[in-house]
Amino acid sequence: MIKSIEEYLNLLKTELQRSDAATVQDALADAEEHLRAALANLLEKQPEMSEEAALDQVIEQYGSPSETATAYAEVERRTVPQLARENPKTESAIARFFGVYTDARAWGAVLYMLIAFVTGVFYFTWAVTGFSLSVSFALFIFGLPFALLFFLSVRGLALLEGRLVEGLLGVRMPRRPLFTQSNLKWFDRLKELALDRHTWFSILYMFIQFILGTVYFVLFTTVLSFSLSFIAIPVLQEFFNLPTIQIGSGVRYFFPTWSYPLLVFGGILLWTTFMNLARGIGQLHGRMAKSMLVTD
Amino acid sequence: MVDSPTLTKKFQKELNAGIASLVLLSVLNKKTKPMYGYQIAKLLEDYSGDASFMKQGALYPVLHSLENSGLLESKVEPSVSGPPRRYYEITSEGRETLVIWQGVWKQMKSFVERAIKGA
Repeated sequence: MIKSIEEYLNLLKTELQRSDAATVQDALADAEEHLRAALANLLEKQPEMSEEAALDQVIEQYGSPSETATAYAEVERRTVPQLARENPKTESAIARFFGVYTDARAWGAVLYMLIAFVTGVFYFTWAVTGFSLSVSFALFIFGLPFALLFFLSVRGLALLEGRLVEGLLGVRMPRRPLFTQSNLKWFDRLKELALDRHTWFSILYMFIQFILGTVYFVLFTTVLSFSLSFIAIPVLQEFFNLPTIQIGSGVRYFFPTWSYPLLVFGGILLWTTFMNLARGIGQLHGRMAKSMLVTD
Repeated sequence: MVDSPTLTKKFQKELNAGIASLVLLSVLNKKTKPMYGYQIAKLLEDYSGDASFMKQGALYPVLHSLENSGLLESKVEPSVSGPPRRYYEITSEGRETLVIWQGVWKQMKSFVERAIKGA
Protein backbone atom coordinates (compact mmCIF):
# COMPACT_ATOMS: atom_id res chain seq x y z
CA MET A 1 0.00 0.00 0.00
CA ILE A 2 1.25 3.46 -0.88
CA LYS A 3 1.69 5.63 2.21
CA SER A 4 2.32 9.10 0.80
CA ILE A 5 2.05 11.14 -2.36
CA GLU A 6 5.86 11.28 -2.50
CA GLU A 7 5.97 7.49 -2.50
CA TYR A 8 3.43 7.37 -5.34
CA LEU A 9 5.48 9.84 -7.37
CA ASN A 10 8.66 7.86 -6.82
CA LEU A 11 6.93 4.67 -7.94
CA LEU A 12 5.52 6.45 -10.98
CA LYS A 13 9.00 7.71 -11.83
CA THR A 14 10.35 4.16 -11.69
CA GLU A 15 7.52 2.90 -13.88
CA LEU A 16 8.21 5.61 -16.44
CA GLN A 17 11.94 4.83 -16.58
CA ARG A 18 11.87 4.01 -20.27
CA SER A 19 9.76 7.00 -21.31
CA ASP A 20 10.99 10.30 -22.65
CA ALA A 21 12.44 12.47 -19.84
CA ALA A 22 10.03 15.25 -20.75
CA THR A 23 7.04 12.93 -20.43
CA VAL A 24 8.22 11.85 -16.99
CA GLN A 25 8.39 15.43 -15.84
CA ASP A 26 4.87 16.13 -17.12
CA ALA A 27 3.45 12.95 -15.61
CA LEU A 28 4.91 13.71 -12.18
CA ALA A 29 3.58 17.26 -12.19
CA ASP A 30 0.11 16.11 -13.28
CA ALA A 31 -0.01 13.39 -10.64
CA GLU A 32 1.15 15.68 -7.86
CA GLU A 33 -1.36 18.39 -8.78
CA HIS A 34 -4.22 15.90 -8.98
CA LEU A 35 -3.45 13.79 -5.94
CA ARG A 36 -2.94 16.77 -3.64
CA ALA A 37 -6.15 18.43 -4.77
CA ALA A 38 -8.14 15.19 -4.54
CA LEU A 39 -6.74 14.29 -1.13
CA ALA A 40 -7.44 17.72 0.33
CA ASN A 41 -10.96 17.65 -1.08
CA LEU A 42 -11.75 14.19 0.26
CA LEU A 43 -10.41 14.92 3.74
CA GLU A 44 -12.44 18.11 3.86
CA LYS A 45 -15.63 16.22 2.99
CA GLN A 46 -14.94 13.30 5.30
CA PRO A 47 -12.82 14.59 8.18
CA GLU A 48 -13.28 11.34 10.11
CA MET A 49 -11.41 9.41 7.44
CA SER A 50 -7.75 8.57 8.13
CA GLU A 51 -5.26 10.12 5.74
CA GLU A 52 -4.04 6.71 4.69
CA ALA A 53 -7.51 5.46 3.78
CA ALA A 54 -8.23 8.69 1.95
CA LEU A 55 -5.03 8.41 -0.08
CA ASP A 56 -5.88 4.84 -0.88
CA GLN A 57 -9.25 5.88 -2.27
CA VAL A 58 -7.77 8.79 -4.23
CA ILE A 59 -5.15 6.52 -5.82
CA GLU A 60 -7.81 3.93 -6.60
CA GLN A 61 -9.62 6.56 -8.68
CA TYR A 62 -6.49 8.06 -10.22
CA GLY A 63 -4.93 4.74 -11.15
CA SER A 64 -1.94 2.84 -9.80
CA PRO A 65 1.55 4.06 -10.80
CA SER A 66 1.80 1.34 -13.43
CA GLU A 67 -1.65 2.13 -14.88
CA THR A 68 -0.80 5.81 -15.07
CA ALA A 69 2.59 5.10 -16.64
CA THR A 70 0.95 2.94 -19.30
CA ALA A 71 -1.55 5.68 -20.13
CA TYR A 72 1.25 8.21 -20.68
CA ALA A 73 3.38 5.80 -22.67
CA GLU A 74 0.46 5.01 -24.97
CA VAL A 75 -0.51 8.59 -25.67
CA GLU A 76 3.14 9.62 -26.08
CA ARG A 77 3.57 6.92 -28.69
CA ARG A 78 0.75 8.48 -30.72
CA THR A 79 1.71 12.14 -30.30
CA VAL A 80 4.83 13.71 -31.68
CA PRO A 81 5.69 17.40 -31.21
CA GLN A 82 4.10 19.52 -33.93
CA LEU A 83 7.29 20.27 -35.81
CA ALA A 84 8.83 16.83 -35.43
CA ARG A 85 6.27 15.25 -37.75
CA GLU A 86 7.89 13.71 -40.80
CA ASN A 87 7.76 15.81 -43.90
CA PRO A 88 6.51 13.89 -46.91
CA LYS A 89 9.64 12.51 -48.60
CA THR A 90 10.31 14.07 -51.97
CA GLU A 91 12.20 12.00 -54.50
CA SER A 92 15.14 13.96 -55.82
CA ALA A 93 17.95 15.55 -53.83
CA ILE A 94 17.35 18.89 -55.56
CA ALA A 95 13.68 18.87 -54.59
CA ARG A 96 14.66 18.08 -51.01
CA PHE A 97 17.28 20.84 -51.03
CA PHE A 98 14.87 23.52 -52.25
CA GLY A 99 11.98 21.97 -50.35
CA VAL A 100 13.54 23.44 -47.23
CA TYR A 101 11.36 26.54 -47.75
CA THR A 102 8.23 24.55 -46.99
CA ASP A 103 9.74 22.95 -43.89
CA ALA A 104 8.50 24.65 -40.75
CA ARG A 105 11.48 23.25 -38.84
CA ALA A 106 13.96 25.13 -41.04
CA TRP A 107 12.13 28.44 -40.57
CA GLY A 108 11.85 27.71 -36.86
CA ALA A 109 15.58 27.07 -36.68
CA VAL A 110 16.40 30.31 -38.52
CA LEU A 111 14.17 32.23 -36.13
CA TYR A 112 15.73 30.41 -33.19
CA MET A 113 19.24 31.39 -34.35
CA LEU A 114 18.14 35.01 -34.36
CA ILE A 115 16.49 34.82 -30.94
CA ALA A 116 19.41 32.88 -29.45
CA PHE A 117 21.52 36.02 -29.66
CA VAL A 118 19.17 37.94 -27.37
CA THR A 119 18.47 35.07 -24.98
CA GLY A 120 22.20 34.18 -24.96
CA VAL A 121 23.21 37.64 -23.81
CA PHE A 122 20.46 37.63 -21.20
CA TYR A 123 21.28 34.13 -19.87
CA PHE A 124 24.98 34.96 -19.68
CA THR A 125 24.39 38.20 -17.77
CA TRP A 126 21.95 36.44 -15.45
CA ALA A 127 24.25 33.48 -14.79
CA VAL A 128 27.38 35.58 -14.23
CA THR A 129 25.61 38.04 -11.95
CA GLY A 130 23.71 35.37 -10.03
CA PHE A 131 26.69 33.08 -9.66
CA SER A 132 29.21 35.71 -8.56
CA LEU A 133 26.76 37.36 -6.15
CA SER A 134 25.87 33.95 -4.68
CA VAL A 135 29.54 33.19 -4.09
CA SER A 136 30.38 36.56 -2.56
CA PHE A 137 27.19 36.76 -0.48
CA ALA A 138 28.02 33.35 0.98
CA LEU A 139 29.96 35.23 3.69
CA PHE A 140 26.75 36.86 4.92
CA ILE A 141 23.66 35.49 6.52
CA PHE A 142 21.50 36.25 3.47
CA GLY A 143 23.96 34.54 1.12
CA LEU A 144 22.29 31.14 1.17
CA PRO A 145 18.71 32.32 0.56
CA PHE A 146 20.10 34.39 -2.28
CA ALA A 147 21.75 31.32 -3.78
CA LEU A 148 18.44 29.46 -3.48
CA LEU A 149 16.65 32.22 -5.38
CA PHE A 150 19.34 32.13 -8.06
CA PHE A 151 19.08 28.34 -8.46
CA LEU A 152 15.30 28.57 -8.66
CA SER A 153 15.54 31.26 -11.34
CA VAL A 154 17.92 29.00 -13.31
CA ARG A 155 15.31 26.23 -13.17
CA GLY A 156 12.64 28.63 -14.38
CA LEU A 157 14.78 29.87 -17.25
CA ALA A 158 15.64 26.29 -18.20
CA LEU A 159 11.93 25.50 -18.50
CA LEU A 160 11.37 28.64 -20.56
CA GLU A 161 14.26 27.82 -22.88
CA GLY A 162 12.78 24.33 -23.21
CA ARG A 163 9.48 25.76 -24.42
CA LEU A 164 11.37 27.88 -26.97
CA VAL A 165 13.37 24.85 -28.15
CA GLU A 166 10.26 22.70 -28.51
CA GLY A 167 8.28 25.43 -30.25
CA LEU A 168 10.95 26.42 -32.76
CA LEU A 169 13.15 23.35 -33.12
CA GLY A 170 10.52 20.65 -32.63
CA VAL A 171 12.44 18.74 -29.97
CA ARG A 172 10.20 17.41 -27.21
CA MET A 173 10.95 19.28 -23.95
CA PRO A 174 9.20 19.34 -20.55
CA ARG A 175 5.95 21.25 -20.44
CA ARG A 176 5.74 21.37 -16.65
CA PRO A 177 8.22 22.46 -14.00
CA LEU A 178 10.41 19.81 -12.45
CA PHE A 179 8.84 17.97 -9.56
CA THR A 180 10.16 18.87 -6.11
CA GLN A 181 8.86 17.90 -2.73
CA SER A 182 6.89 20.85 -1.47
CA ASN A 183 7.31 20.13 2.23
CA LEU A 184 11.09 20.66 2.20
CA LYS A 185 12.67 23.35 4.40
CA TRP A 186 14.34 26.05 2.36
CA PHE A 187 17.82 24.89 3.36
CA ASP A 188 17.12 21.32 2.27
CA ARG A 189 15.69 22.70 -0.94
CA LEU A 190 18.94 24.58 -1.52
CA LYS A 191 20.96 21.45 -0.83
CA GLU A 192 18.80 19.44 -3.21
CA LEU A 193 19.24 22.03 -5.96
CA ALA A 194 22.98 22.42 -5.39
CA LEU A 195 23.54 18.66 -5.51
CA ASP A 196 21.46 18.21 -8.66
CA ARG A 197 23.52 17.86 -11.82
CA HIS A 198 20.62 19.43 -13.74
CA THR A 199 21.11 22.81 -12.01
CA TRP A 200 24.78 23.01 -12.96
CA PHE A 201 24.20 21.83 -16.49
CA SER A 202 21.53 24.52 -16.86
CA ILE A 203 24.01 27.18 -15.70
CA LEU A 204 26.61 25.81 -18.11
CA TYR A 205 24.01 25.92 -20.87
CA MET A 206 23.41 29.60 -20.09
CA PHE A 207 27.13 30.29 -20.64
CA ILE A 208 27.32 28.22 -23.81
CA GLN A 209 24.22 29.88 -25.22
CA PHE A 210 26.05 33.21 -25.15
CA ILE A 211 28.80 31.92 -27.44
CA LEU A 212 26.47 29.92 -29.68
CA GLY A 213 23.96 32.76 -29.85
CA THR A 214 26.66 35.13 -31.07
CA VAL A 215 27.96 32.63 -33.65
CA TYR A 216 24.41 31.96 -34.91
CA PHE A 217 23.65 35.65 -35.17
CA VAL A 218 26.87 36.46 -37.06
CA LEU A 219 26.23 33.54 -39.41
CA PHE A 220 22.64 34.65 -39.99
CA THR A 221 23.42 38.32 -40.68
CA THR A 222 26.47 37.55 -42.85
CA VAL A 223 24.70 35.03 -45.05
CA LEU A 224 21.57 37.16 -45.28
CA SER A 225 23.47 40.27 -46.37
CA PHE A 226 25.58 38.37 -48.92
CA SER A 227 22.55 36.62 -50.40
CA LEU A 228 20.52 39.80 -50.62
CA SER A 229 23.49 41.70 -52.12
CA PHE A 230 23.96 39.11 -54.86
CA ILE A 231 20.27 39.19 -55.69
CA ALA A 232 20.23 43.00 -55.67
CA ILE A 233 23.30 43.53 -57.92
CA PRO A 234 21.35 43.63 -61.25
CA VAL A 235 18.87 46.16 -59.87
CA LEU A 236 21.55 48.35 -58.29
CA GLN A 237 23.72 48.37 -61.42
CA GLU A 238 20.96 48.84 -63.99
CA PHE A 239 18.53 51.19 -62.27
CA PHE A 240 20.72 53.09 -59.82
CA ASN A 241 24.02 52.93 -61.71
CA LEU A 242 25.81 51.84 -58.54
CA PRO A 243 28.99 49.78 -59.04
CA THR A 244 29.44 46.47 -57.24
CA ILE A 245 32.96 47.45 -56.17
CA GLN A 246 34.29 50.97 -55.89
CA ILE A 247 37.82 51.89 -54.81
CA GLY A 248 38.24 55.59 -53.99
CA SER A 249 36.43 57.65 -56.59
CA GLY A 250 38.32 56.23 -59.56
CA VAL A 251 37.91 52.50 -59.96
CA ARG A 252 34.30 51.41 -60.45
CA TYR A 253 33.73 47.76 -61.15
CA PHE A 254 30.50 46.55 -62.72
CA PHE A 255 29.51 42.93 -63.30
CA PRO A 256 28.72 42.22 -66.95
CA THR A 257 25.07 41.88 -67.89
CA TRP A 258 25.35 38.20 -68.86
CA SER A 259 26.33 37.34 -65.29
CA TYR A 260 23.07 38.70 -63.78
CA PRO A 261 21.15 35.38 -63.82
CA LEU A 262 24.16 33.65 -62.26
CA LEU A 263 24.43 36.28 -59.51
CA VAL A 264 20.74 36.09 -58.62
CA PHE A 265 20.83 32.31 -58.69
CA GLY A 266 23.99 32.36 -56.54
CA GLY A 267 22.26 34.55 -53.96
CA ILE A 268 19.25 32.25 -53.78
CA LEU A 269 21.52 29.19 -53.62
CA LEU A 270 23.50 30.70 -50.74
CA TRP A 271 20.37 31.39 -48.69
CA THR A 272 18.91 27.97 -49.46
CA THR A 273 22.12 26.31 -48.33
CA PHE A 274 21.97 28.32 -45.14
CA MET A 275 18.36 27.24 -44.52
CA ASN A 276 19.42 23.60 -44.85
CA LEU A 277 22.36 24.22 -42.57
CA ALA A 278 20.11 25.98 -40.05
CA ARG A 279 17.78 23.00 -39.94
CA GLY A 280 20.72 20.76 -39.10
CA ILE A 281 22.12 23.16 -36.51
CA GLY A 282 18.65 23.43 -34.99
CA GLN A 283 18.43 19.67 -34.55
CA LEU A 284 21.89 19.51 -32.99
CA HIS A 285 21.12 22.41 -30.69
CA GLY A 286 17.84 20.81 -29.69
CA ARG A 287 19.63 17.60 -28.80
CA MET A 288 22.19 19.51 -26.76
CA ALA A 289 19.47 21.49 -24.95
CA LYS A 290 17.62 18.29 -24.15
CA SER A 291 20.66 16.57 -22.69
CA MET A 292 21.60 19.59 -20.59
CA LEU A 293 18.26 21.01 -19.47
CA VAL A 294 16.19 17.86 -18.88
CA THR A 295 16.97 15.62 -15.94
CA ASP A 296 16.86 11.94 -16.64
CA MET B 1 -9.73 -20.83 -20.81
CA VAL B 2 -10.78 -17.31 -21.72
CA ASP B 3 -9.68 -14.66 -19.25
CA SER B 4 -12.71 -12.48 -19.66
CA PRO B 5 -12.00 -9.78 -17.01
CA THR B 6 -8.63 -9.03 -18.64
CA LEU B 7 -10.17 -9.07 -22.10
CA THR B 8 -12.96 -6.76 -20.95
CA LYS B 9 -10.42 -4.41 -19.43
CA LYS B 10 -8.48 -4.35 -22.67
CA PHE B 11 -11.65 -3.75 -24.67
CA GLN B 12 -12.62 -0.88 -22.36
CA LYS B 13 -9.17 0.65 -22.75
CA GLU B 14 -9.28 0.46 -26.51
CA LEU B 15 -12.71 2.08 -26.56
CA ASN B 16 -11.51 4.84 -24.25
CA ALA B 17 -8.54 5.73 -26.46
CA GLY B 18 -10.68 7.66 -28.93
CA ILE B 19 -13.66 8.56 -26.80
CA ALA B 20 -11.61 10.30 -24.11
CA SER B 21 -10.63 13.05 -26.56
CA LEU B 22 -14.26 13.58 -27.60
CA VAL B 23 -15.45 13.66 -23.99
CA LEU B 24 -12.74 16.08 -22.83
CA LEU B 25 -13.33 18.45 -25.74
CA SER B 26 -17.10 18.38 -25.10
CA VAL B 27 -16.69 19.08 -21.40
CA LEU B 28 -14.36 22.00 -22.00
CA ASN B 29 -16.59 23.29 -24.78
CA LYS B 30 -19.57 23.57 -22.38
CA LYS B 31 -17.61 25.50 -19.76
CA THR B 32 -16.93 29.17 -20.20
CA LYS B 33 -14.15 29.17 -17.63
CA PRO B 34 -10.87 27.24 -17.99
CA MET B 35 -10.75 24.09 -15.83
CA TYR B 36 -7.93 22.17 -14.19
CA GLY B 37 -7.48 18.42 -14.32
CA TYR B 38 -9.04 17.55 -11.00
CA GLN B 39 -12.16 19.65 -11.74
CA ILE B 40 -12.61 17.88 -15.06
CA ALA B 41 -12.14 14.48 -13.40
CA LYS B 42 -14.73 15.39 -10.75
CA LEU B 43 -17.24 16.44 -13.40
CA LEU B 44 -16.74 13.21 -15.34
CA GLU B 45 -17.26 11.29 -12.11
CA ASP B 46 -20.66 12.95 -11.77
CA TYR B 47 -21.55 11.98 -15.34
CA SER B 48 -20.48 8.36 -15.04
CA GLY B 49 -22.32 7.72 -11.77
CA ASP B 50 -21.24 4.49 -10.10
CA ALA B 51 -19.59 3.01 -13.16
CA SER B 52 -16.02 4.15 -13.67
CA PHE B 53 -14.93 4.01 -17.28
CA MET B 54 -11.38 5.20 -17.01
CA LYS B 55 -8.81 6.05 -14.40
CA GLN B 56 -8.51 9.76 -13.75
CA GLY B 57 -4.77 9.59 -14.30
CA ALA B 58 -5.34 8.56 -17.90
CA LEU B 59 -7.10 11.88 -18.63
CA TYR B 60 -3.93 13.97 -18.30
CA PRO B 61 -1.91 12.49 -21.16
CA VAL B 62 -4.97 12.95 -23.38
CA LEU B 63 -5.21 16.59 -22.30
CA HIS B 64 -1.53 17.05 -23.20
CA SER B 65 -2.02 15.47 -26.57
CA LEU B 66 -5.08 17.63 -27.33
CA GLU B 67 -3.08 20.68 -26.36
CA ASN B 68 -0.25 19.51 -28.55
CA SER B 69 -2.57 19.31 -31.54
CA GLY B 70 -3.79 22.85 -30.89
CA LEU B 71 -7.31 21.85 -29.88
CA LEU B 72 -6.80 22.99 -26.29
CA GLU B 73 -4.63 25.62 -24.70
CA SER B 74 -3.50 25.81 -21.12
CA LYS B 75 -1.91 28.07 -18.59
CA VAL B 76 -0.39 27.36 -15.20
CA GLU B 77 -1.63 29.31 -12.23
CA PRO B 78 -0.50 29.11 -8.62
CA SER B 79 -2.99 27.63 -6.19
CA VAL B 80 -3.61 28.61 -2.59
CA SER B 81 -2.89 25.08 -1.42
CA GLY B 82 -0.46 22.72 -3.04
CA PRO B 83 1.36 22.83 -6.36
CA PRO B 84 0.41 25.18 -9.23
CA ARG B 85 -2.50 24.05 -11.40
CA ARG B 86 -2.73 23.79 -15.16
CA TYR B 87 -5.98 25.23 -16.48
CA TYR B 88 -7.25 23.98 -19.84
CA GLU B 89 -9.45 25.85 -22.31
CA ILE B 90 -10.78 24.88 -25.74
CA THR B 91 -9.45 26.79 -28.77
CA SER B 92 -11.52 27.89 -31.77
CA GLU B 93 -9.84 25.08 -33.74
CA GLY B 94 -10.93 22.74 -30.98
CA ARG B 95 -14.55 23.89 -31.33
CA GLU B 96 -14.49 23.33 -35.08
CA THR B 97 -12.96 19.89 -34.63
CA LEU B 98 -15.48 18.99 -31.96
CA VAL B 99 -18.40 19.62 -34.35
CA ILE B 100 -16.85 17.19 -36.83
CA TRP B 101 -16.10 14.62 -34.14
CA GLN B 102 -19.64 14.80 -32.81
CA GLY B 103 -20.87 13.99 -36.30
CA VAL B 104 -18.49 11.03 -36.50
CA TRP B 105 -19.64 9.84 -33.10
CA LYS B 106 -23.32 10.00 -34.06
CA GLN B 107 -22.74 7.92 -37.19
CA MET B 108 -20.57 5.50 -35.24
CA LYS B 109 -23.18 5.12 -32.52
CA SER B 110 -26.03 4.30 -34.86
CA PHE B 111 -23.76 1.97 -36.83
CA VAL B 112 -22.74 0.05 -33.71
CA GLU B 113 -26.29 -0.09 -32.39
CA ARG B 114 -27.60 -1.42 -35.65
CA ALA B 115 -24.82 -4.01 -35.76
CA ILE B 116 -25.59 -5.17 -32.22
CA LYS B 117 -29.33 -5.39 -32.81
CA GLY B 118 -28.78 -6.96 -36.18
CA ALA B 119 -31.72 -5.11 -37.69
